[in-house]
Amino acid sequence: MCIDLQMLSAYMDGELKEPYKTQVKEHLEHCAACRNLLEDMKKLDEKIQKDVFLEEELNRNKDAIYKKLDAKCFGEGRQVSFFRRKIQMSIPTAITAAAAAVFIFVGGFVFFGSNAKETNDILPSFSVNADSENVRLVSSGKNSLDDYTLEEILQYLDGKGYQVDISIKGLQPLEEKGE
Amino acid sequence: MEIKSTNREDFRKVYDANYTLLMQVVMHIVYNQEIAEDLVQETFERFYVKNISFPTMDDAKYWLLRVSKNLALNHVRRNKREIQLVDKVKKMPSETANYFDSSKAVMEEEDRKAVRDAVNALPENLRSVIQLKEYSGLDYKAIGKILGISETNVKVRVHRARKKLEEILSAEDKDVY
Repeated sequence: MCIDLQMLSAYMDGELKEPYKTQVKEHLEHCAACRNLLEDMKKLDEKIQKDVFLEEELNRNKDAIYKKLDAKCFGEGRQVSFFRRKIQMSIPTAITAAAAAVFIFVGGFVFFGSNAKETNDILPSFSVNADSENVRLVSSGKNSLDDYTLEEILQYLDGKGYQVDISIKGLQPLEEKGE
Repeated sequence: MEIKSTNREDFRKVYDANYTLLMQVVMHIVYNQEIAEDLVQETFERFYVKNISFPTMDDAKYWLLRVSKNLALNHVRRNKREIQLVDKVKKMPSETANYFDSSKAVMEEEDRKAVRDAVNALPENLRSVIQLKEYSGLDYKAIGKILGISETNVKVRVHRARKKLEEILSAEDKDVY
């Protein structure tokens, strides 16, 4: 019984494992028929190999294509998009980032999201100064008519001896007050 | 040694090591240099965009081969009609030229064509195995990984493909003489 052709094919490719490899080798030494089969197989292989493409032909545009790819992938402004990028961060950095996030959250709550009483609970030292008694509206002196209230204007005109009658459009005047 | 597809240095290394191999494999599917170059370029673009890490250089190679092979097969499937038309046009002048010229170069070109036709006559599952074996110099294990089949399966298919090619090519020889 001679060698199975499939085994011979694997032997030719150098893919046959021991102990079969040695067995096939020994058999070939004294079996001319199998040697011929192997020769035929090698010839066929050579024939198939004729259709291989030459490296220099294949590499004709290798550098040009690399340049294109490099510009496309690694050129200016073409980095990995934010969502595709894997975030790499050391542990201390992560902790600092988390602390900053908490600080901003709590800070926002303290300064904008709470009334005076809550502020007093959270940050007593700050609430003393932030009390409404200590906050006054500061204006830069009276310059234009917009700075006076209607009452002040009326009082001023009254003092100058004018009789001013003011009514609101579309409203019936109420009954005369007093006698 | 880990390979990161978005690392510029790794990318360069992988490109240099695999470009020729990918071209060889894709060329045996599309048989057109320009189209092959486009497909190989697209393969590397996908490699970058995927943003993956490979444990070894070989793993990156298998990934690239798998993707480029599939891109090429898809291209052929999509453009079947155009490709057949181009083939027809190509055949017309060559037949008349052979009539006058019988130099060695033409004989070799004919051998080459006979082999190519024979390989293309194989069913898809045998063809990709024998092409990877004969033209890319990969071993059974690598071929199995690229195609997602076992090493034993590769061995069987390589042998079957050779047997069929032998039949087709010897039948052609008999036709000639």
